[in-house]
Amino acid sequence: MISLYLQDCTYFTRKEILRLFYRYRDLAPQLVPLDYTNHPDVKLPYELIGSMPELKDNPFRQRIAEVFSEDGEGNMTLDDFLDMFSVLSEMAPRDLKAYYAFKIYDFNNDDFICKSDLEKTLNKLTRNELTEDEVRMVCEKVIDEADLDNDGRLSLEDFQHMIVRAPEFLR
Amino acid sequence: MEELDTVNLVRVMSDDSIHSSLSSDSCEYYQTEIFDQLPSVQACRLEQNRQSLLEASEANQDGPEPRENISHGHLSRGPKDKASTRPLRNLVMCIQGKRNARDRRKMQISNIGFWDSWRRSQSIYMKRVMAQMGGALKGLLPWQQTLRTINGRFGVGVKAYFVFLRYLVFLNLLHCALISGFILGPTAFYGSSAHLKFGANDSVLDFFLGTGYLDRSPVFFGFYTRGSLNLPCLNTPLLYLAGIFTILFLSLIMVVRRTVVGYKHTWILGKQYSVNVSYKIFCGWDFSIQDRASATLKRSFIRNDLKLFLEEQSFSLREAQRTLPQKVRLYLLRFIFNLIVLSLLGGAFYLIYFATKTSQNMSASEHHWMVSLVLQYLPPITITFVNLFLPHMFRKISSFEDYSFTTQVNATLLRSIFLKLASLGIYLFFVFDQTKNQPCRENIFGREMYKLSNFNFLATLCNAFLFSYPRKLLQEKYPSSLLAHLSGKQHFLIPFNVLDLVYSQTVSWVGVYYCPLLPLIGTVTLMATFYIKKFTVLRCCVAEQRMLRGSSSSVLFHFMLLLGLIMAAVTLGVNFWIPNTNTFSCGPFGNGGSLFNVTGECVARLPSSAQTTLRYLSSEAFALPLILTEVIILTSYVSRGRANQKAIERLKDMLVLSSSDKRFLVKQHATMLRRQKNTGRVRGAAIKEDNPRNNSTVPPSTRTN
Repeated sequence: MISLYLQDCTYFTRKEILRLFYRYRDLAPQLVPLDYTNHPDVKLPYELIGSMPELKDNPFRQRIAEVFSEDGEGNMTLDDFLDMFSVLSEMAPRDLKAYYAFKIYDFNNDDFICKSDLEKTLNKLTRNELTEDEVRMVCEKVIDEADLDNDGRLSLEDFQHMIVRAPEFLR
Repeated sequence: MEELDTVNLVRVMSDDSIHSSLSSDSCEYYQTEIFDQLPSVQACRLEQNRQSLLEASEANQDGPEPRENISHGHLSRGPKDKASTRPLRNLVMCIQGKRNARDRRKMQISNIGFWDSWRRSQSIYMKRVMAQMGGALKGLLPWQQTLRTINGRFGVGVKAYFVFLRYLVFLNLLHCALISGFILGPTAFYGSSAHLKFGANDSVLDFFLGTGYLDRSPVFFGFYTRGSLNLPCLNTPLLYLAGIFTILFLSLIMVVRRTVVGYKHTWILGKQYSVNVSYKIFCGWDFSIQDRASATLKRSFIRNDLKLFLEEQSFSLREAQRTLPQKVRLYLLRFIFNLIVLSLLGGAFYLIYFATKTSQNMSASEHHWMVSLVLQYLPPITITFVNLFLPHMFRKISSFEDYSFTTQVNATLLRSIFLKLASLGIYLFFVFDQTKNQPCRENIFGREMYKLSNFNFLATLCNAFLFSYPRKLLQEKYPSSLLAHLSGKQHFLIPFNVLDLVYSQTVSWVGVYYCPLLPLIGTVTLMATFYIKKFTVLRCCVAEQRMLRGSSSSVLFHFMLLLGLIMAAVTLGVNFWIPNTNTFSCGPFGNGGSLFNVTGECVARLPSSAQTTLRYLSSEAFALPLILTEVIILTSYVSRGRANQKAIERLKDMLVLSSSDKRFLVKQHATMLRRQKNTGRVRGAAIKEDNPRNNSTVPPSTRTN
């Protein structure tokens, strides 16, 4: 039933793909058929995806669902679902994760992380517990550290360069 | 116009990047039409379609289609072959796209020859096999689940402690393997067949004191004899020496590697104790968290980290604003505190000396067995107590000295490291001094190290069960009592625990020559320590709110490990160099042998060319060119590093200036387009563009400073 292409396109083994399929189906048994040979066009709404225990406590769950869904709204097909967990898994390489992380933190989808994106990221991360002044100071420091071409926002190259320099010593 | 040869390329913080002189909307620049047509922007946007487009052009087989968008040098033929063998799952596109790529590749395979397709499928299989093997090896590491639980509940710092503990267990296992290969094996086959029997005077106490039965066992140096393996270059003493040197050398390589890696990371981060705030924000969240409690904890970690950063900013601001009288007072205060620290250290050393002398003197007379046990253990007890209490006092002292939090922690650590290593060194010196004329001095040393190691483990055990657990019960049962208020909540203090580990490893290294089974004891005690500490952390401790700055302290810990190793080597060296005038020598060098005798014998049997080479290598005539070569190599590396640094700075400045050029030109273009449209629309009304900047027609890069 699960064709080999899924094993090639994700980092999962056949058993893991099956397990994920059953998780997907458990979210909405009445919507998802057991037989996927005809590639039915089934999309689960974002609310169901966001209520999964793996994503429920993640402050970026909405952005993650938006980035990996085809329609950009968070409604995911089985392919999107598998793709998302494949990239989030331990086996995905660092540069792939870095690319998707950049897309997640880019709230306005303009291929750059500007100051407003940073402020939104920070507020989601700390649940608005920092004052405005503190948020501003932290965002300025981030731009100062990571912005290489000095245009006031982070491009993909700036982001990847910063991730590469991250301290791995404590692993 | 200024002279061009005095151009100083500084990082231009041009406010072009934040404001626009032409309109109040700073984002307007990014929405202009010409911005979308810039080659660099197009290259970024089409990055992800590169593979699919290249593969499409491959499958179409009609040569490189010159699409306007990808007419860049770096997108041409070069990386193509690599791209089509890159694993599908690494491509940056949705599953549908990957499916199409896969079908295309399958079609390709049927088009190209048999040999190429076989080679390609082999490389794919090999990659898969290597990945699976790597995964299997990682799964073999013990205690992974425990580490994951600890990471979830207490954060990365505490997990790093346990990872370090596991690393030391492996190190000790390696030492055990080497010892059994070099020392125990030959002794078992060729050693004298003196069977160990319980003698008349032996008792269970011997296991604690290292005397009697244990004195005659393989645990100590004295057990090993010359044995029947008596070839000139392959005999027991030589193997013994080779084993010990291999252990020290291997440990040196491993510790140096870890120290250098850590130091490189700290150096790459820029400043010495730099704060990588961007990393904390973008990589701070742990995406594997699954329950509400861990999420709250992680969030509070991140928030506290950021608050720590903000605190340090305000501290450096405050520091810059100190007036002269304040500074003088502060330095005086720090000087006094340093004197206090020195006097505390002096007092501790005197206490150790006193304990050693008492222990040596009292061992002659007869006492009740418990009293004599305590007396024998008096030096280890003193050292352990000193090492237990003084670091906490140092911590209190450094909090009065008005440093930033990171500096406080590092100052405490430095003082504690000095205390531990110096106390061990002084103890060894006293023992050395006082056992000048006693038979089998190596056994005495070995005994002291054995007792020290034992007592360290005992102290860890007692600390967990007699101190941490009751404290936790007190907090639970009587939370409002005075004692509970005084003791406060229990935290797992990472620096002090890591210091304990490093100290015990140092003792193990110092003692391995005199007590070859010390690594085995070390392995067992470290594994027990893992479970004890796991119990302490998971049952008795609360997560600490203030996170330690990870990377710089790790460098310090590994540096201390290195210092411990150097101390062990120095002790060994001193022991070999001082001529052993003892007539009652024991061990594999017995009957007047020594390191130089044994190696001299071996060298004398080698062929003469080897002998002359060795003699040349150990003479002074070789040392001088060696040192010169090392100095030259080091200088070349340092100067290359500096030149690279300068090149990086110049490239950074060039990048900034090109970027601001681009922004300026785009803005000019947009303004002119808008002007054209406006004058086209409204003929009559002239829009006055009040342009305050007189030199706005000149791009930034030609404005030389």
